[in-house]
Amino acid sequence: MKKNYSGERLTVAIQLKRQPPKWIYNTLLTIVVFILVIYSFSGTVISADRLNNFWPSLRVMIKGFLNPNLKFLFGLDDASIPYLTLQTLAIAFAGTLIAAIFALPIGFLSARNVTGKASKIGEIILIAIRTFPEIILALILIRIFGIGALTGTLTIGIHSVGMLGKLFAESIENMDRGPIEALDAVGANIWQKIRYGIFPQVLPDFLSITLYRFDINVRSATILGVVSAGGLGTPLIFATREWDWPTLSSILIAIIIMVVSVDIISSKLREKLV
Amino acid sequence: MARESFVLTNGKVVIKPRTKIWLYTAIVLVLFFACFLVIPIDFRTIRLAQVSVILEKLFTPAPGKTWGDYFAYMLKLDQPIMETIRMSFAGTTIGAALCLPFAFLCSRNIVKSKWIYQPTRVFMNFLRTLPTLVVVVVVAFFFGFNVFTAIIAISIFTWSIMTKMLYETIETVDMGPFEALEACGGNKTKAFSYAVFPQVMPIYLSYFIYTFEINVRSSVVLGYVGAGGIGVVINENIGIYYDRVGAIIIVLFVLVIAIQLFSSWVRSKLQ
Amino acid sequence: MIKFTNVDKFYPNGFQALKNVNLEINDGEFVAIIGLSGAGKSTLLRAINRMHPISNGDVIVDGENMSKLEGKELRMMRSHIGMIFQSFNLVKRMSVFKNVLAGRVAFHSTFKTLFGLFPQEDKIIALEALDKMGILEKAFVRADQLSGGQQQRVALARALAQNPSIILADEPVASLDPVTTIQVMEDFKRINTEFKITIVANMHHVDLAMQYAHRIIGIKDGIIVFDGPVSKVTEQILEMIYGRKLTHEDILEKPLGEIING
Repeated sequence: MKKNYSGERLTVAIQLKRQPPKWIYNTLLTIVVFILVIYSFSGTVISADRLNNFWPSLRVMIKGFLNPNLKFLFGLDDASIPYLTLQTLAIAFAGTLIAAIFALPIGFLSARNVTGKASKIGEIILIAIRTFPEIILALILIRIFGIGALTGTLTIGIHSVGMLGKLFAESIENMDRGPIEALDAVGANIWQKIRYGIFPQVLPDFLSITLYRFDINVRSATILGVVSAGGLGTPLIFATREWDWPTLSSILIAIIIMVVSVDIISSKLREKLV
Repeated sequence: MARESFVLTNGKVVIKPRTKIWLYTAIVLVLFFACFLVIPIDFRTIRLAQVSVILEKLFTPAPGKTWGDYFAYMLKLDQPIMETIRMSFAGTTIGAALCLPFAFLCSRNIVKSKWIYQPTRVFMNFLRTLPTLVVVVVVAFFFGFNVFTAIIAISIFTWSIMTKMLYETIETVDMGPFEALEACGGNKTKAFSYAVFPQVMPIYLSYFIYTFEINVRSSVVLGYVGAGGIGVVINENIGIYYDRVGAIIIVLFVLVIAIQLFSSWVRSKLQ
Repeated sequence: MIKFTNVDKFYPNGFQALKNVNLEINDGEFVAIIGLSGAGKSTLLRAINRMHPISNGDVIVDGENMSKLEGKELRMMRSHIGMIFQSFNLVKRMSVFKNVLAGRVAFHSTFKTLFGLFPQEDKIIALEALDKMGILEKAFVRADQLSGGQQQRVALARALAQNPSIILADEPVASLDPVTTIQVMEDFKRINTEFKITIVANMHHVDLAMQYAHRIIGIKDGIIVFDGPVSKVTEQILEMIYGRKLTHEDILEKPLGEIING
């Protein structure tokens, strides 16, 4: 016979009363979140002018988007889209490679199973790099390396170390310990263990992580142009300032084609790695 | 490349299989150097000595000012920081709510029909390729540069990336409970909300916090074009008052660390 | 009553899983379907609630032609048929109570269920189902805190909460240890006799099928090769269903001789 702690038989009626009052929390939480979201919009002033012009504006915008600036889209000089798209890709590629090279030692340093307590140092470096907003980094680097694609490349090269190093370290922490034990048993030192025990195991993972970051960097390379760090972002920000929809449309076409093809190529390559 | 071969003392010959790793390395290196054909390097404009100068300007008080002033400035940032948090919170919440039905429609294991999940995925992929900046400008064209525009832009960004993360997670859940609920007469929506959503709920929450963190950081970019938050203040001060920008960087750093600590606390609670 | 007439089932790859199946199962029966894995047991079972649609023929459950039903009508029919699975199919991180309550989703609107709004009487039905299975005290425990046998009882409670006329069980004890297996089979027997619910179960272990069911259906390569009361089953029949001599893998604990004669 089932008894509850007060000694009487446990019945449906008793259990019904004991239902955890979860719905109260859930309802309260929903209300609070709802109020916070509404409150977040406070301070928004939308001029009546803009609202009255909604439909005409929409027509202007759509017309602009449907008539891309073809001269800009197919131009062959270094201020036209093909060159700038190539430059954006170059910024992302070179930047990612630089970041991957720097992330390797820091990744090993921050892997708990390689360096033990010293891994904290690496972790702190990586958090600091990751949280430093990319665009501010670009604004600072511009003072050092001047306006242009080099600054964009180095911004990505430095900023991506944060995420790459973290994921590299996680991948090292998750690998199989067996081969390292075996190397310990044959008397290998730490460098030999890294070269023959760790590196062969984590290499495919590292490559796949780097490719993934390349995907992200292609997108951020377009944003960095906003602060004159090269690539498609620079004409993008000028076009937006002037509401130049045809130019914006041609840049958008380039970005979409670029991002989608990089996505497809990198996911094909990543499939091959696994 | 000739293949390496070895002759053992007992006369056996072993041929090492060809590896392509050097070829790949060479391709990557060639591509890397080719990149600099379109990335001009002008050594006359590089001033490496500036590194320490800028760092000092950023993270110490300006001449004639004290550390007291430096930290006092941080306290004056409460309003733009709150605005950044509000924008990111509202945008992330709206985007996260929108992503639920769309992740449902993108999941191959739930909707099964190619005619539904493929178009939805194409649409979401398209949304993901749109730079947030372009979204901001398009929205601002109608509503002006303000918090509202920033929230809409952040919502759309959140919606697009959370949908992808969530449907990829949904496709890995245990489908047993879903089958059980279909067997007792539940439709797909009911089966999803009782069998699939409870399974992905903790992951959904951690995606929420992860995206929230990204949004707080990217609000700097939004501010750069004038859509509100801390980015506006950075834009006003960059190149003029380095000490202020430095103080803002420190505040943002603390904020992001706080979000990360909060997120790992939430995750440990959910385990 | 469940009635199969000339049922065929082809898979998209052309494989024929059921070949001209004719079958009648009366209310209150306890039927065990036995056969090798891949013989079509699971397909036959799932044809009843149309979790697997059939290719030809008719499956009639309580007067409704399941193969003609779609959408809402199909779901209404399914809501009166409970189903039990080998891997329990509970949401592990949800409470036992919510798992059982989820068995009642078919009776309420999508909107209400989306927000978890179940009326009080449904909550009572769910708790009573747990009480019938003897695990009322576990109601607010997370499902993954329970043992395998207890989890299968939760799944049974979920089926009972549907107030079903039929319970289908697909290898209900295949992932349980021998002791819990007996307990869960006793539960099925009790549900069958006490609540007069028809039970159709796929069984792997011949001795269990013979001990608990009233009737055995033997299926081989999609064809029903034997259908009759337990008392009619002989060693030759079992060897015909299995296409080979029975091995210890087909039996949970009792020696073969004991099953046939007992």
